[in-house]
Amino acid sequence: MNLTSTAGGGPITGLPRPRRRRTDASHRGWTAAVFLSPTVLIIGLFTVVPMIMTIVISFHRWSMFTPITDMTFVGLSNYERLFADSARVQAIANTGVYVGLSVLITVPLAFIIAMLLYFPKLRGRNVVRVILFATYVIPTIAIVIIWSNIYAPGYGPLSAMIQAVGLTPPGWLSDPSWALLSLVIFNVWQMLGYYVILLVAGLTQIPEELYEAAKVDGAGLWRQTWSITIPMLSRSLVFVVLMTVINSIQVFDPIYLLTQGGPAGSTNVVSFEIQRSAFQYGQAGDASALAVSLFMLIVLVGVVLGAFTKARKR
Amino acid sequence: MTRRRIGPRALTQRVLLYALLIVVAVVPLFPLYWLVISAFKTPAEFVTIPPTWFPAAPTLDPMVSALTEVPFLQSMLNSIIIAGASTLSVLVTSVLAGYVFAKYNFRGKDLMFWGIVATMFLPPIVTLVPLYYLVSSMGLSDTYIGVLLPWLANAFGIFLMRQFIMEVPDELIEAARLDGASEFRIVWQFVVPLIKPAVVTLAVFMFVFSWNNFIWPLTILRTEAMYPVVLTLNRLMSYTMSFEYQNVVIAGALIASLPTLIVFLVSQRVFVQGIASSGVKG
Repeated sequence: MNLTSTAGGGPITGLPRPRRRRTDASHRGWTAAVFLSPTVLIIGLFTVVPMIMTIVISFHRWSMFTPITDMTFVGLSNYERLFADSARVQAIANTGVYVGLSVLITVPLAFIIAMLLYFPKLRGRNVVRVILFATYVIPTIAIVIIWSNIYAPGYGPLSAMIQAVGLTPPGWLSDPSWALLSLVIFNVWQMLGYYVILLVAGLTQIPEELYEAAKVDGAGLWRQTWSITIPMLSRSLVFVVLMTVINSIQVFDPIYLLTQGGPAGSTNVVSFEIQRSAFQYGQAGDASALAVSLFMLIVLVGVVLGAFTKARKR
Repeated sequence: MTRRRIGPRALTQRVLLYALLIVVAVVPLFPLYWLVISAFKTPAEFVTIPPTWFPAAPTLDPMVSALTEVPFLQSMLNSIIIAGASTLSVLVTSVLAGYVFAKYNFRGKDLMFWGIVATMFLPPIVTLVPLYYLVSSMGLSDTYIGVLLPWLANAFGIFLMRQFIMEVPDELIEAARLDGASEFRIVWQFVVPLIKPAVVTLAVFMFVFSWNNFIWPLTILRTEAMYPVVLTLNRLMSYTMSFEYQNVVIAGALIASLPTLIVFLVSQRVFVQGIASSGVKG
């Protein structure tokens, strides 16, 4: 960042301290309180309080169509039922598959594209960067609409292209064994640019001298990538993995808009199941138990990735 | 790769790299291309098998239907109000809080800061049920205030602002204080101009996020006249299931994407850099 100081910059050592120093400090204490209060109030009331409420509700039975005073304590039974209900178990498994596939496809692909875009003296790479990122700013619903058309059997372009090379296209969203993968593909399409940008930024942080030294030692491109780029980029890579997990773990819009969890429950994921349990069936307790499980999953991933970065640092 | 004499090997490498670059550009662009051309096809052409790769007789009919058959313009306006208001509020709250976290010292500051940052990783779906309960028990369901209230401050914004404000020299702020400037004036007159790229980044990010937010308006709004454009699109999608109307839905999707695309394209240089540095510093 380029910081040019305006009026009155520069060191001020030697200047007399202001007279009302103590009053200033307490005045600043008030300022801090005033500046922070809107944020603390909003985040506290609409994020922290609901988080605590989610945990509390998860131990209760409460139909959302009745007053909250009707809530009855049921201990862990919501959690027990979570694992007894095959639809919910499937939702958890689908979420795992969706997140896993998203990470496995997105991260290597983003890495390769970032490497390509980082290549010096390649014309047009800024245009490509903008194109890649443009997909990220389009509303998910617009993306859902266009991809459901791309996947359409018959008049959809994707099936037409596959038929043109003599293959039989799958049923995409209508085929239980393809539907989840189809959703992963457009998640990758939507998010890839964001991660590419993050990785390109990470690449620019790697000191040029390391490559120079490696070249002197006769290391080729592969060797340089394995021994310099990947280790030096591990922080950015871990960040990208974490963002991909958090992003794909809460996939909701395409499921709600496109498949409603079908066909045959193959795209039912935890976030959709939470919304459906709560707002269609009114089962706030079950929904909250699922929500807490989802959150624990994120914490677990965070802890594992955190431990991984620490291990790498040593 | 350093520059060498253009031997056959280097040339092949160049050609391969450019071929790869073209693939990387075309694949993400294709769905966008498809969105645009589909919006200009006639309903009959839209469902022809095999699909046409360019509209044979481009028509504005789907666009006109999208704009007239549902209150589309009204919902665009609703989206602008909702996204604009939450963006503005997040900018103000984030700059103020970011300034305090970057330049002040008090007991429990770090705990408070990291506590707020931790909420960044909390998916909104986890708190949806109690959030709905809270907002509706405040009597705010189906109101603009209800749509906006949870999104008036945001951890990512505070994190981003703090990162950039930390780089503003302390001497500058001290000097402004000696000149008798109030803390509020210091923020707006000295700090904000210096961190303009970060402010632009946050503004674009919030605008896009808020424009695209689907699940919360879906949960809290009932009156269709108040729908943001994403909900109107959803309605258009579910009420016009027949093939002849699919391209009306697509035309709607195109119109709904334009504001965020324009905001992004206008600011992309600054925005992309800002997002990039948010990840590096993170």
